[in-house]
Amino acid sequence: MNLAPGRSSGAKCFTARMQAAIRTGAALTPAPRRASRARMTRTRPPLLDGLIASLPIAMGYFPIAFSFGVAATQAGFTGLEAFALSLLIYAGASQFLALALLSSGAPVLVSAFTLIAMNLRHVLYGPALMREAGAGQSKRHAWAWAWGLTDEVFGQALGALARGQRFSEGYMFGLGLSAYASWLSGTLVGAVAGGGALEGWPAVSAGLGFMLPALFLALLLSILSRRQLPVVAVAGAVTVAVTLAISATSGILLGMLAGAVAGLVRR
Amino acid sequence: MNLDLLTVALLAGAANWAFRALPILARTDRLATVGWLERFLSATGPAAIATLFVAAVLPSLSLDLPRLLPLAAGTLAVLALWVLRRSVVLATLGGAVAHGLTVWLLG
Repeated sequence: MNLAPGRSSGAKCFTARMQAAIRTGAALTPAPRRASRARMTRTRPPLLDGLIASLPIAMGYFPIAFSFGVAATQAGFTGLEAFALSLLIYAGASQFLALALLSSGAPVLVSAFTLIAMNLRHVLYGPALMREAGAGQSKRHAWAWAWGLTDEVFGQALGALARGQRFSEGYMFGLGLSAYASWLSGTLVGAVAGGGALEGWPAVSAGLGFMLPALFLALLLSILSRRQLPVVAVAGAVTVAVTLAISATSGILLGMLAGAVAGLVRR
Repeated sequence: MNLDLLTVALLAGAANWAFRALPILARTDRLATVGWLERFLSATGPAAIATLFVAAVLPSLSLDLPRLLPLAAGTLAVLALWVLRRSVVLATLGGAVAHGLTVWLLG
């Protein structure tokens, strides 16, 4: 994580405060850990900032949720049931798997535990995000905004912190709300419209389908630092190897863990 | 409403909420002051995003030009726009447009 600008400014700020205190003999009060972030002024409310920042996520989610709505109705579920899956689970790959499991008559508990195992990686997101946010940040409403902490929202929030933005629960709500609304509306429209809606527009469909890979790449570039290059390389290599050898789900989980473990190596 | 579907959705949804919210509410940031855990969490973000990008493009990586060219055009557009403008939103939208345009040009 490239946090060098924030930290170096913070250190400069602290040094300046210390020198001033020595000069004036005044008492030195502790500088906030993220002094440079605290100084940043906002031109928009954090909620609006979050809504704007989530635009690529919302645009990427809509066609995927649309496909899910179509797939659900084609698998024999009603529009209401498709919507309920999106509303209650809110995790793309799990929902597609849920359709396959439920329509094949898999036992309820087996289906539920399979879906739960798929999303185990999300356990790491909250601590990683709050670590980057810095100590003392409000988490009063985390029980609500954390529901929206999907892969893409996590990536976007982390990228914003790495670029020096101050953590705000309003921003997290903005990011999450827009993405969730897009996911729900996409599901509903897909379930109602059926499969033929985007068939006449393959270029639009392809462009929208590339939105999330493009977002991941842009986010990766935004947080990349020389220190994290081995982490990225290990994560990518393990993802490819495990995906080819076992499955895409295992590839994501093990790739992520292998990259994080690579970060433990002192350099 | 299918009762099995509702049960599965409620169980999976409750677990998803727990995975996303409980580690934040449990004040794990205090644990993060432990050296190895701090390095682990610091590497989790880049590792997660790199993994998700690789997993997203992997199915399109083939020697089949109609699949490979849009991916290459979209990826290059993201890289170029990031270098030029340093904007995540612009790079993402530009990449998607380049990808869609290449699909359209290839017919």
